[in-house]
Amino acid sequence: MFIAIDESKCMGHGRCYAVAPDLLTDDDEGFVAERGRCWELPADLVGQAQDAADACPEGAIRVTEAAPADA
Amino acid sequence: MTETRRGCPVSHTDYTGHAPILSHYGLLDADREEARFLYNDTTERGFFMLQRYDDVQEGFQQHETWTTAVRSALRPGLGEPLLPQDLNGQPHVKLRRILNQFFAPAAVRRMEPMAKQRCIELIEEMKGAGSCDFVKEFAIRYPTDMFLALLGLPVSDGEQFLEWSDDYFGALLAGDPGRAEAAKTSIMKYFDEAVNERRANPRDPKEDMVSRLVQARIDDEALTHDEILTICLTLMLAGLDTTRSALGYIYAHLAQHDADRQAIIDDPTLIPKAVEEFLRLYPLVFQAGREVQEPQDFNGLELEKGDVVWLGIAQANRDPRKFEDPDRFDVARHNANQHLAFGGGPHRCLGMHLARLELKVVLEEWHQRIPEYRIKEGTELMERGVQLSMSSLPLEWDV
Repeated sequence: MFIAIDESKCMGHGRCYAVAPDLLTDDDEGFVAERGRCWELPADLVGQAQDAADACPEGAIRVTEAAPADA
Repeated sequence: MTETRRGCPVSHTDYTGHAPILSHYGLLDADREEARFLYNDTTERGFFMLQRYDDVQEGFQQHETWTTAVRSALRPGLGEPLLPQDLNGQPHVKLRRILNQFFAPAAVRRMEPMAKQRCIELIEEMKGAGSCDFVKEFAIRYPTDMFLALLGLPVSDGEQFLEWSDDYFGALLAGDPGRAEAAKTSIMKYFDEAVNERRANPRDPKEDMVSRLVQARIDDEALTHDEILTICLTLMLAGLDTTRSALGYIYAHLAQHDADRQAIIDDPTLIPKAVEEFLRLYPLVFQAGREVQEPQDFNGLELEKGDVVWLGIAQANRDPRKFEDPDRFDVARHNANQHLAFGGGPHRCLGMHLARLELKVVLEEWHQRIPEYRIKEGTELMERGVQLSMSSLPLEWDV
């Protein structure tokens, strides 16, 4: 499974790293530090990734089977 | 025949009056279910209402063409300058960047010990009395003290400051600019002295917000003195009434729902989730306004330049299409944290992490000390429209 975080959609609500503390971190301004990235998830963090995607009010996070072509 | 405006049914619902507690949510629910889009004609400018979760969420993303030239659909003519709210696009982003670091989770975490200490002091002060007007004696003093501490100003000024800010904000929401002016003059004079003091004796700009504002540069330009004062005033307006109001609704709920209260007494680790669910269920800022800058078709709604748009925050938070059984408090709700209580897009509430911390700390410390309480018998709870708040919540407990 892959996670992709759309940098242009991220508005710094901070819900994602609050629910996925082992996967995501915050920067000095409160945005998720990993925005703009796409990477393969370790199996044990797929659940947290899904929680992070569900928590984002801007819909900036996608968890997909294959690496998204546009990310 | 149903009256329509550009194809929208016309609603005459007035959202500005005083009413029994929770009745505004009833009005909002009814309007949301009547039609996807409504035109409301109760204000001078009128406004097009976006009410369902997906529309409201998408509306917050239209920031390129819908601006904060109107911040509230209900008070579109409120000429009070606010920063950073009044800015849009890049100027807004640049100013937010200066302020963000004081409101980011890391900065807010640093404030937790102070928040706890002040909260405990206030609770211990009133615990022995066995009763209080929770809204007047606790729920406003606590965020006022936190606001002063955040700016690096003395918490001992809280009492005086409270009087001014309450007077000012009440007059603004009532649409009474004349009465607001006198209170504002006192507040601005207070900020003016504080800013001048920091110009003379700057502190660490990483820790002290006023010092940071004095030293900040945007495109090599310093903020003007007036801009700094406006930012201070804006932070006050944004943070005090809202936190007081949120606490009022939360405690009215907990005092009347024994099982929900018992759950957080038994397991305080539930409190952060409970805070999120309370924010979803009882948003105080129940709408945001925007002004349309160019003609646009928004999902079939024909908008013209100059239209006022209502982004129905509470209607989205209680939309059954998004949240199952939306009027029920459910601490285990899986998607509670997708609520829009803090708005969305670039203008989302700057103080949201601080607000969450403040609410969490109160729920933790209060229930450790006063687990059982009730609303004083015979009380009729009333709420103010425009931006929801209770003027009074008398609580009692055994001593």
